[in-house]
Formats: sequence, structure tokens, C-alpha cells
Amino acid sequence: MKNINWKYIKYLFLLGPFLTMAGLVAGFVSNSWGAVPVGLIIAGIIILGLWLLFVSTAPDSFWGKRSTQAGTNALAATLSMLVILGLINFLGVRRALRVDLTENQLFTLAPQSQRVVANLQQPVKIWVFESNPNPEARQLLENYRQYGSQFNFEFVDPQLRPNLAQKFNVQLPGEVYIESGTRRKLIQTLNQEQRENLSETQVTNAIAQITGDRVGKVYFLQGHGERPLTAVQGGLSQAISNLGEKNYTAEPLNLAKTPTIPEDATVVAIAGPKKALFAGEVKALNDYLKRGGSLLVMVDPNVNPGLDSLLKEWGVKLDNRLAVDLSGRQLGLGPAIIMVTRYGQHPITKDFGEGRSFYPLARPVQTTSIVGIQETPLLITNNESWAESDPENDQLEFNPQSDRQGPLTLGVALSRGYAPQSASVPSPSPTGSPSPTASPTASPSPTGSPSPSPSPTASPSPTGSPSPSPSPTASPSPTGSPSPSPSPTASPTASPSPTASPTASPSPTASPTASPTNPENTSQKPVESRLVVVGNSDFATDGLFEQQLNGDVFLNSISWLSKQDEQTLSIRPKEIKDRRLNLSQQKANLVGWMAVLIMPLIGFATAGFVWWLRR
Amino acid sequence: MGVVLSNIVAIYRKELQGYFASPLAYLVAGVFWLLSGFFFVWILVEIIQQVALADLQGQQIGVPVPPVDVPYEFLRSFLYVMGWLVLFVLPILSMGLYSEERKRGTLELLATSPLTNWAVAVGKLLGVLTFFTVMVLPLLLYEAIAFSAASSPVPPGVPLLGHAGLILLAAAVLSLGMFISSLTESSIVAAFLTFGLILALWLMDLAAKWIGGSFGDALGHLSLLKHYNNLVQGVVDTSSLILFASYIILGLFLTAQSIDALRFQRS
Repeated sequence: MKNINWKYIKYLFLLGPFLTMAGLVAGFVSNSWGAVPVGLIIAGIIILGLWLLFVSTAPDSFWGKRSTQAGTNALAATLSMLVILGLINFLGVRRALRVDLTENQLFTLAPQSQRVVANLQQPVKIWVFESNPNPEARQLLENYRQYGSQFNFEFVDPQLRPNLAQKFNVQLPGEVYIESGTRRKLIQTLNQEQRENLSETQVTNAIAQITGDRVGKVYFLQGHGERPLTAVQGGLSQAISNLGEKNYTAEPLNLAKTPTIPEDATVVAIAGPKKALFAGEVKALNDYLKRGGSLLVMVDPNVNPGLDSLLKEWGVKLDNRLAVDLSGRQLGLGPAIIMVTRYGQHPITKDFGEGRSFYPLARPVQTTSIVGIQETPLLITNNESWAESDPENDQLEFNPQSDRQGPLTLGVALSRGYAPQSASVPSPSPTGSPSPTASPTASPSPTGSPSPSPSPTASPSPTGSPSPSPSPTASPSPTGSPSPSPSPTASPTASPSPTASPTASPSPTASPTASPTNPENTSQKPVESRLVVVGNSDFATDGLFEQQLNGDVFLNSISWLSKQDEQTLSIRPKEIKDRRLNLSQQKANLVGWMAVLIMPLIGFATAGFVWWLRR
Repeated sequence: MGVVLSNIVAIYRKELQGYFASPLAYLVAGVFWLLSGFFFVWILVEIIQQVALADLQGQQIGVPVPPVDVPYEFLRSFLYVMGWLVLFVLPILSMGLYSEERKRGTLELLATSPLTNWAVAVGKLLGVLTFFTVMVLPLLLYEAIAFSAASSPVPPGVPLLGHAGLILLAAAVLSLGMFISSLTESSIVAAFLTFGLILALWLMDLAAKWIGGSFGDALGHLSLLKHYNNLVQGVVDTSSLILFASYIILGLFLTAQSIDALRFQRS
């Protein structure tokens, strides 16, 4: 009875290799090593082990022979050796330590990059859509992966996996995307011909941005018939969701409820008001701009938003006429639908080339230059277009008396540097006026001259010789002082002095005299406020937002207004040591003859000699 | 322990004496020096001329030339080619390690001698590795002469590391080749099998990239060439060192096992 049972049970052991194979196949096919494939493999191995145990205990079989026993022992030892080596290597990869012996640490990530990757909270993956990537890109990404387990990357041939390429909307080979959760972003396009390399600066910044908290809050002013943020006719829901993908939070703002602009506002947008704003609201906006705010104004024709006083300070005037362009007729566009193909030289429009964007019913924006304000026209209409003062007329034609010949500006970007509130001198360079006051008091510490008192009041000319020496000692103090800069009301004498005194000089008289000059010029960075005015708000509404470049005009404006360009981490690219080999003819000959002739000859001659000896 | 060590030294000395009295070894060394010297001069001239041309063009146009570290670039290209060259040389060095003994009938003596198989294998490996190191030394001499003409002195760390990588790579390959040599009586078969095995390990990197995913990564880690290139670039990665050590130990272990099995086959 027992024997019969064993006979059949033996066949059950065939399950061992079967399950192992099934697990391996399942794992490879699905390309994921989840519970099922691993479970199958483990079950198979356990059954195989049981089988080994079974046959080794059964006596007087083929397995009982000595040679086979030795063979199985060897096999078991070899297998365990492989497993041990595999485990050691696995741990070795996990806990790898890298030492970069190259000069300038060519293969080591910058500390900022290391920190960004090490502090990742959620998984981030970089996709490189390139069929033939250069090894440097892979190496850089492998470096990143070493510093953080949340970081991953994959190289994808867009032709082999078109679905994935479509998901990312890949346009060109060599595009590099970053993905985290549902957010995706293009980092860089690697140029194949020039063997362009993946830039550490861009990758690190992209990681920092995609994982960072919301980069900014955009408030949309409400209460004057502005475009709603919801998905209704003429709403901005597509724009809002696109802002969300770029890490912005969009919120409505009603100044009737909260009289001032919130502190956390990165950008305030006024999108298509139908009624005029109240004077108090305009003042709140003005105050907001003066403390370094950013404003996006989109006003449709035939509306008086009441912003004239605010815009006038910036030299901007909203034209009451309607922009008209008859040349769009070939494309089936009405005369009031303006197609823009010319863009100004500005960060907002730098990648647009001659792309198209559409503005139904737009009003031109006129600008007059004001000192201290940098203005760049963004959207420029055709030469054939004009500003029509009487659009109700059936016969649309250019009337030189009342109309204005194009090209017209439909949108303009302006930026203005406000000096810090306490400062009188806007120049940020510390080499100007402060040097005579700072130099004599700082000079005692390096030179040890015993006469500090007469020099502070003296004119700059007698202190010509000591002035170079204090400048390095005085410069550490501004680097310490920027910490109080966010608070504009900080008293300049109190706060910087403890940070400046240990770095500048041990003498206590140096710090109070040096410190008042610092916050005025360096510690308080001049505030910059930015303004974008567009004579149309339709272009960003649902439906039109997706047309051609319309969405980019809106999103790039917001991103420029939010001053994102300033927040990038500056990572210095790795410098390769510039080195040449200037071989003299003598040395070249020496090396050449030795390498190609002498050493081989020595080898061959000795071979012949030894052979002859042995013969 | 001391006995084992002295056994290893005894085998090592016997092996070395064998190499320096063998015309074949000198012939292999001569061919290696000829080929490596040819590549050395060729790559050096090529790179110096390219950079000189770029410098000249930059001067004419007035555009600053991007910085180039000529010795470093040369070292990388040269050692990369060396990595391929040893692919052909190393099987020839390792093929006779055990198959010769088998052919001469001395393998039984070795297998039944009081020496442990481990000690024999380690001694043989050290012997052949020393011979290979002697073959590599002239390359360092050429480089020392060439790099002495550099516009700013070349720190010796990266070149030395690159050659240490070459020797480590050779140790791994020779260790596996020794195992293969212990399996067969014919040196030629051993050389061919070793060549095939190394080629497979070389190309593992390509296969890994093709497969991708975590399995591809694991496979890619087994590739000798990848870790060798790491070292040549001047990056010491402990995982690379561990991998080389694993290959060496695996080769030694398998050799010892294979000789061990011999005892039972014959008895």
C-alpha cells in the first residue's frame, strides 16, 4: 500500500520544475515580479528541494552510489556558492560606494542634485525617448538613481512603443520627460547630431519643480463680470486645469470680501472684467504691484475696466478701437478675429517662432516708454491690420483720420524694478559709496594699524591704500546679512551686526559702521514687479485655449509673472580640465619605436631564443 | 594556514618558471606588445591631430575651443581598445593551465597530491596573472613618457586605476578560463570555449539594455565591460570591485570542484 502511494507521489515532484518555469515565464511576459511569479518560483524550488531530500534518503538506488553522491554534493555546493555570490552582489549594488578619482569630479553629481534626489518623497521617473542614447546620459541618470531610491529612469525607443510616446505627446526623438504621479513635463530635447548631453542643471531643476510644493498661487479677480473659473460658456476651466498640471493653485479672489491682496499671491489675474473696478480695488492692486507683485490684465474691447490710472503708471494705455484684420479671410477668419504670427523677443514668446494664436475681438495696447520700466511687445499683428474706431459700420475700411494703421500690439509684458523701501540708492553694487565708510573701520583688523578714528571721516582719497584690503573682509558681511532681507522693516543696525562681526573683524567698532551701509545696497534685493497686459480675454477661454499657441501664451505669461525663472537652482556645469599633449619629436620617436618595434621584437626574439635552447 | 600559503607559493613559482621558459608565452607577449603598441601610437596620433585641428580652427574663427583633456581622452580610448584586445589574448593564456596537465597526465598527480585543489588553483591563477601584469607594464612606461609632455601634469590616479581595472578584468577572465581549461584535454577547445564565454559576458551589457527593466539591470550588472569602463573612467564603485571578486572566486571554486570530481570519476 505504502509503496504504491510513493510511486504516484514521485510524479508530483515534476510540479517543481513546472512551477519554476511557469513563474519565470509569467515574470518575463508581464515584466513585473509581483507576488504571483515569485510565489510560483518559490513553490517550485521548495518542491525541488523536497525531491532532492527524498531521493537522497532513499537507499540502494542510482542515487546511493558514491560517484553520484559526490556529484550531487558538488552540485549543491556550486548552487549555494552561486546563491551566496548573488546575494553579496545584490547587497553590494544596494550599498554601493563610489569614489570619483577624476579631476573636477566629472562623474559626481553636484551637492544640490544629490540633496534633491535624496529628499524625494514620491517616485519620480525620467523617460528618455531615444532609440540610440549616448552612454553619458545613462550614466548621469544612474548617478541620480544612486542617491535616491525614489528616482528611476527608462530609455524608450519611440518607434517601438508608440503608445507610450503618444501618452507623453513626443514630437521629436531625443525628448526627455519627467513624470511624477500624474504630472509630466518636458525637460530637454537631446539633439542627435550634436551628441547633445543631458544637462544635470535641467534635470535637477525639473525634479525640484515637479516634486516641489505648489510653485505659486494664482488669484483670479472676481466680482466685475470676469470670466468664471468653471467649465461654463466662456469659462477658464481648461486654463485652470493646465495651471494645476504646472503646480499652480488657482483661486478666485473677491476684493469686496478681502480688501487686500493676500500675501501668498504669486500672480493676480484680471481676466475679462465687464464692469469697472472700484477705486479701492485698484489701489489694492497698485499696492500689491509696488511690493513686488505680478499682475495679468486681460481686457476685451468696449469695456472700461477702470484700470487707466494703474496702467498709466506703467505707460500702458488700452486702445478703445477694435483690431481688424482682413487678411485672415483666406483662412476663413472674420475681420475681427486676429491671428498673430509675430511675437516679441521675450521669455514668454521665445519658443513660438511663427506659430499662430487667435484673438477674437481684441483691442490694441499702446505703450509709452517710462524710465525704469522694461517693456516688450508680445503679440504683434499684421502690417495690413488696423485699429478700427467704428466697427459698427458695414463697410470696414481703413480711415486714416480715426483709425490707426498696424502693426498693432495686442499684448505687452512689462517689468519694473522697485528700489527697496528704505533705500535711496538703487544700484546693487557694493563698490560705490559705502567703500570709504567701510574701509577705514575694517582696516584695523588685517593691518593692525592703531589709528582707526581719523580715517572714518576722512575723504576717500587718503584711504586709497587700505581700501583694497578691507573689501575682502567687508564682503563676508553682506553674505551673512541677506537672511533678514525678506522683512523690509528690519532695523539695519540691530540684525546684521551679530552675523557680520565674527566674519568681518574682531574689533567691535567695525561692525556698527559697516552694517548700516550693507542693508541699503545688498541685503535688500530690489523688488521687481511684473505686468502683462493683453487686449483680449477670449483667447484663454475653454475651446480657444486649446487652439494652436493660445494656451502657451497664457501659461507662459503666468510662469513669467510668477518669476519662476529666478527660482532655478544654479548648478555649475562640470569643467573638464583643458590639457594638451605637446610631444616633442624626440619623445614621439622614442615612444613610437619602443611601442611598435622594440618591445615586440624583444618578445619574438626571446621566444625564438628559448625555443632554440629547448630544441 | 602557513602550509597552504607555502603550497600556493610553490605552485606559483613553478608556474612562473614555466612561463619564462616557454617560447609560446614569449610569442603571446610579443604579439600582444605589437598589437597594443600599434593601437597606442595610432590612437595617440589620432587624438593629438584631431585636437590640434580643432584648436587651429578655433583660432581662425576666433571661437574658444571647448576644453579637452587629451591625456584623459587618450587613456579612455586606449584602455577601451585594450579591453577588446585582451578578449583575444586572455583565452590563449588560460587555455593551457589545466588542459596541459591533463594531456601530460600530471593532473592525477595534482588531484591526488596532498595539496588542496584550492591552493593549486590560486597558485596557478596568481602565476598567470603575474605574467599578464608583466605584459601590461610596458604600456604604463609608454604612457609615462607620453604624459610627461602634457601641458599641465597628469595626476597618476586615473591612469593607474585604469590599468588596475585592466588587471582585475584579466583576473576575472583568467579565473573563468582556468575552470574551462580544467574541463577539457584540448587547449584549443578550452581557448575557444573561454573566448565564447567572455564574449557572452562582454555582450551582456547590450542584451541588458535591450531587455530593460529590473531584470535587464541585473543582467547588465553581470557585464564585465561595464564595470571595466567604470574603472577606466576613474570611478571606483564598490559594486564593481565586488563583481570582479565574485567572478574570480567563482572561477577558483569551480576549478577546485572540477578537479575534486576528477578523483571520483577515476576511482
